Amino acid sequence: MSKASTGGGQEKVEAYLGELRRRLRGLEEAQVGEVLEEIRGHIAEKTAAGASIEAVMAALGNPEALAREYLTDALLARAEISRSPWRVLDGLFRWASLSMAGFLVLVVSLLGYFAGAVLVLLGVLKLFHPQTAGVWTWMDAAGTREISLRMGFYGPPAGARELLGWWVVPLGLVVGCGLLVLTTRFALWCARQYRGRRGSQ
Amino acid sequence: MKNLPIPERDDGEKWEVQLRKGCLELAVLAALWDGPRYGLEILARLESGSDLVVSEGTVYPLLSRLKGLGLVRSEWVESESGHPRKYYELTAAGRQRATEMQATWSRFAGSMSKLLAPLHKEKAKA
Repeated sequence: MSKASTGGGQEKVEAYLGELRRRLRGLEEAQVGEVLEEIRGHIAEKTAAGASIEAVMAALGNPEALAREYLTDALLARAEISRSPWRVLDGLFRWASLSMAGFLVLVVSLLGYFAGAVLVLLGVLKLFHPQTAGVWTWMDAAGTREISLRMGFYGPPAGARELLGWWVVPLGLVVGCGLLVLTTRFALWCARQYRGRRGSQ
Repeated sequence: MKNLPIPERDDGEKWEVQLRKGCLELAVLAALWDGPRYGLEILARLESGSDLVVSEGTVYPLLSRLKGLGLVRSEWVESESGHPRKYYELTAAGRQRATEMQATWSRFAGSMSKLLAPLHKEKAKA
């Protein structure tokens, strides 16, 4: 490894790369190593050609911004190969560890996937628990109306009335699957917007 | 009468950024057309005679994305500079993608020039 011309400069390079490494956590270790090696080479060759370390780093952008671009790119690239919720969620967890925006998108996506999965499950379980699964409504002790999704493992409360009947099967499947697809689209859309905004800075 | 929205001051700038970003992928693939190049060579090619690259930092993640999509492959090569260099090379899929993008680009650029012809005339008169 060649040293940069000035000792202080080398420290700055190491600080930059250290910060980049921290921000890239979530990517596979081998990939992080390659990114760091490539950026290190870029800085070394540019400075060897006479550019100042400050100018080289300014042209690269700050480590946080650079890392973010790698991570949202990784999310989008995964999703372009397969749109399975697992892949999308895996990418979102990595993004969430990096930024508040990623965290919010993760929370909304988790809710969307959860609600979608519950509806699909409800539609399927109605076939196995025809008497007890479904959407039930009843008056509780305080006289307020309760509405509850029941998977059918326990009986509904006494005096409860079922709302949708067999309709819960097609509705649960269609709305549930729709939610799963919409959530994936939402997450990818957010990642694209985010990447777009980043690129314009 | 409704008030027209006041256009943002940097609208022109934003449009330019979007345009540049949209072209960057094709430009990078084109920079690899003649053979393998490493990051700095790709940057040098993009920077000479074009203002496509605003931040050098955007090119490296883009290369990594193109690799993830199977459009380029990479190889580390030792160099006399003391640092190994990561060379990128188009894959067959990358070549095909570049050709498709180039066809789309040519069609698009052709129709835009036709549409913009009146503006040229105006300029010549002035």
